[in-house]
Amino acid sequence: MNAFATLLPVIFPIIAGIALLPVKFKSRKQREMWVLSIVVLNAVFALYAIFGAGSPYVTLFTFNSKLSLALHVDGLSKVFGTMVSILWIITTIYAFEYMTHEGHEDRFFAFFIMTFGVVIGIAFAANFLTLYLFYEFLTLATLPLVMHQFDNKARHAGKTYVIYMMFGASLAFIGFVFIYCFGTTTDFVMGGVLNRNLVAGNEDVLRLVFVMAFFGFGVKAAVFPFWRWLPKASVAPTPVTALLHAVAVVKSGVFAIIRLIYYSFGTSFLIGTWAQNVVLIAAAITIVFGSTVALRTPHVKRRFAYSTVSNLSYIVFGVALMTPAGLGAGLLHMVYHAVIKITLFFTAGAILYKTHREYLYEMEGFGRLMPITFATMTIAGLGLIGVPPFAGFHSKWALATAAVNSGNPVAYIGIGALIISALLTALYIFYIVVRAYFPREKTYPEGYYDHVSDPNKYMTVPLVLLAIVSVIIGIFPEPLINFLNNVALGIL
Amino acid sequence: MNGNAILLLPMIFPILAGFIIGFQKEEKQRNTLVFIAMALETALVWFLCMGDYTLEAYRFTERLTIAYHTDGLAKLFACLISTIWLLAAVFAMEYMKHEHKPARFFMFYTFSIGALMSLCFAQNMMTLYLSYEFMTILTVPLVIHTGTPEAVRAGMKYLGYSIFGAGLGLLGFFFLNTYCETTTFIAGGTLNMTMVNGRENMMLVVFFLMAVGFGCKAGMFPLHAWLPTAHPVAPSPASAVLSGIITKGGVIAIIRVTYYLFGADFLRGTWAQYAVLTLAVITIFMGSMLAYKEKLLKKRLAYSTVSNVSYVVFGLMLLSPVGFMGALLQVVFHAIAKNILFLCAGAIIYKTGKTFVYEYKGLGKEMPIVMWTFAFASLSLIGIPPTSGFVSKWYLAQGGLAPEIGALGMTGVVILMVSALLTAGYLLPIVTDAFFPGKDYDYGSLKKKEPNLLMTVPLVLLSVAVVLFGIMPTPLTEIITNISGMIF
Repeated sequence: MNAFATLLPVIFPIIAGIALLPVKFKSRKQREMWVLSIVVLNAVFALYAIFGAGSPYVTLFTFNSKLSLALHVDGLSKVFGTMVSILWIITTIYAFEYMTHEGHEDRFFAFFIMTFGVVIGIAFAANFLTLYLFYEFLTLATLPLVMHQFDNKARHAGKTYVIYMMFGASLAFIGFVFIYCFGTTTDFVMGGVLNRNLVAGNEDVLRLVFVMAFFGFGVKAAVFPFWRWLPKASVAPTPVTALLHAVAVVKSGVFAIIRLIYYSFGTSFLIGTWAQNVVLIAAAITIVFGSTVALRTPHVKRRFAYSTVSNLSYIVFGVALMTPAGLGAGLLHMVYHAVIKITLFFTAGAILYKTHREYLYEMEGFGRLMPITFATMTIAGLGLIGVPPFAGFHSKWALATAAVNSGNPVAYIGIGALIISALLTALYIFYIVVRAYFPREKTYPEGYYDHVSDPNKYMTVPLVLLAIVSVIIGIFPEPLINFLNNVALGIL
Repeated sequence: MNGNAILLLPMIFPILAGFIIGFQKEEKQRNTLVFIAMALETALVWFLCMGDYTLEAYRFTERLTIAYHTDGLAKLFACLISTIWLLAAVFAMEYMKHEHKPARFFMFYTFSIGALMSLCFAQNMMTLYLSYEFMTILTVPLVIHTGTPEAVRAGMKYLGYSIFGAGLGLLGFFFLNTYCETTTFIAGGTLNMTMVNGRENMMLVVFFLMAVGFGCKAGMFPLHAWLPTAHPVAPSPASAVLSGIITKGGVIAIIRVTYYLFGADFLRGTWAQYAVLTLAVITIFMGSMLAYKEKLLKKRLAYSTVSNVSYVVFGLMLLSPVGFMGALLQVVFHAIAKNILFLCAGAIIYKTGKTFVYEYKGLGKEMPIVMWTFAFASLSLIGIPPTSGFVSKWYLAQGGLAPEIGALGMTGVVILMVSALLTAGYLLPIVTDAFFPGKDYDYGSLKKKEPNLLMTVPLVLLSVAVVLFGIMPTPLTEIITNISGMIF
């Protein structure tokens, strides 16, 4: 029974999504009811599997003694699974309203539901093969979402998306092969699975393979130099950009990196080596680079996409410190950033939906007319900069403290990157907010302020909810921090 | 919540009051409310400063708490800031009549005092950092109030520099969290010497970065460039408090870091001390020089602030009781004098629209009270007895000439003198032009342009303070001696 409970949240949405593909709903109301019930039901399944069902190890299929498809819920799965489940519901509600202006909603929601199952599959994957499988599925399931509009821009973005993803997965695959050969098992075990006797003499080769696999998974996490697909993919409908490209897809990349470092190669094999330094520096470069480009991008959704590039590397940086404190800090930022960035994308989406404006200089003076949208953007923005007591301060604090305590001078570079990035973040967020509240011109051409108002409750309620959540987790961080630190220590 | 909850009032009250004020459309009513709110706030702060209160307001995690305490330093700054804030508010009631959206201005003006009080009373690094960020964010709307592209650019520049400066402070905070016993401010420092042992140089780098970072708000070279851009574009009452008060926010932070976390003993005689001293000396000279060359009055005053606040940093970095005395006296006196000057500049703009220094001929005949107060403030800034500026300069020079500082202190004192000369050069001609417009001046065109009481009363009160502190500095020096007695 418990085994089935673990399997259900992975299988159910995939089947439901496929079943929905040929269905043509009669009315929007009917579709909304079906989609929402599937998503909520599956979120309940997932949360039950995470918190209620114990943690059975479910083997679905065995190829040989080392290769099998298996699911398992450990501490890391709990963090990722819970986060995804909750945010998926909120995004679904938001998407109902938003997608009315994009069209083809039947297809959209079918794939949207399927992706839910795939992401939970990544969260629950118990070994490298399962992770790899769902990782590839994720690319395929999200492709129709990225290319949703099927115009030339979307098609081009989709092509880039696939090429990058396949390239990354193939690099990761090399890592998989080496773990298969040099590991005692391909299961994920905290502390790593490398067989020391086999490794002896081949350390540098393995470290090279690690770096390759890191960058392979790093493609999804948009680590420099493989970030290019992410801003392009922001042609997708906003709920997709918000959920997939700020939370699910990119964080699957981070999640896979965590599995790679902590559960496959093992920190003791990597810490203090050149491989760690390469990874840390790549993260530091991405942090500054992402923020810099974000500041120069006037297209709001792309600006937030670049901001995501930067913030993902905060997480990667914490993870790459290879200490429990670093992993805890990375996970903390993973949660905070998920909430914040989804809020920001939703605000951009709300503006796009109401007014069809995409560039920040087209949004001047909107602040007063869309009070809820811009208030939530300001709150989320403060969190992203890391102004206490908003969410985002604590993760930055934890990251930097972990970096100081690691005593690695290369990690100090990362602290510098965090500080510079905070400055850039302040500029790229506040530029939008300030322009919105302090328009440059006294009067604008006729029609400029047409349709500028807050969207209806389908969109504002998720926004307000998320803003409240981000404030609450900023003011009461302790339970979350303790939980994540326990995960990082391998207690959960 | 643990301790005297009343200590939370000076931060919470302005936030609540600000929201109410922000929604008052009717001018008279709003002005009354602003006055009541500011007067209450000031009274409250003075009352709190009579006693000894401690409060642990909130605990995020083990090491991160929001805590307040009314120690000597906090009392000095809080009383000074709240009083000047009240006077500038009275002035602003009249001034804001010719600006748009006064309600928004007063809303953020009221919010800001909350953040400032939080900064003054902060008992640990977390609270300080939090208040510091809020001080920046809440004052940005004051800078960009006019909404012109120029103002918005200046506001963003201000924001960027401040956040970066605070970021450097935060960077230090990360390290201090590990290398200090506690990040609660304790007079004399809290460094954990066994941990620091062997990493002294790293900690000195950290200190240097923190001093530069917090020095940003104080307009210290090399992060000074925002100040002459941001201060002049704000409405004059806002420029006055930005220049006179907000810059002192950086000073508070530097004092806390230097004397309450690192400790003077750890820093004395190190390269970090000399490096920051050098930066301060450079800033003093550069600021005065730029002010001398500037023709736009408000910008000239902003450059003057760059120079004058670095007097404070210079005094602090001497790491001696005399230098500390000079620095804190300079904090008080500069705050008062610079507020007068900016408010005068505001009164002139309000009444005549004149902004360039060469336009001021004959103004002394037209608005005598304003120009007289301007004259007093100028004298104080130059440092001519019996005005108060002389007293602070005296202590600063005395501290600089102490033998253990060596050549750098001597250079500093020489620069102080040169800067005084330059100050006379950029302020006194304005006064003489105003009162003695010259033979060929058309006296027939003179009109009476004295502003009303809302503007003149704050100016006169501040000028009285300038002179009074100069004649009787003893009460103030006693307070400062008490503070420095704790930390040396």
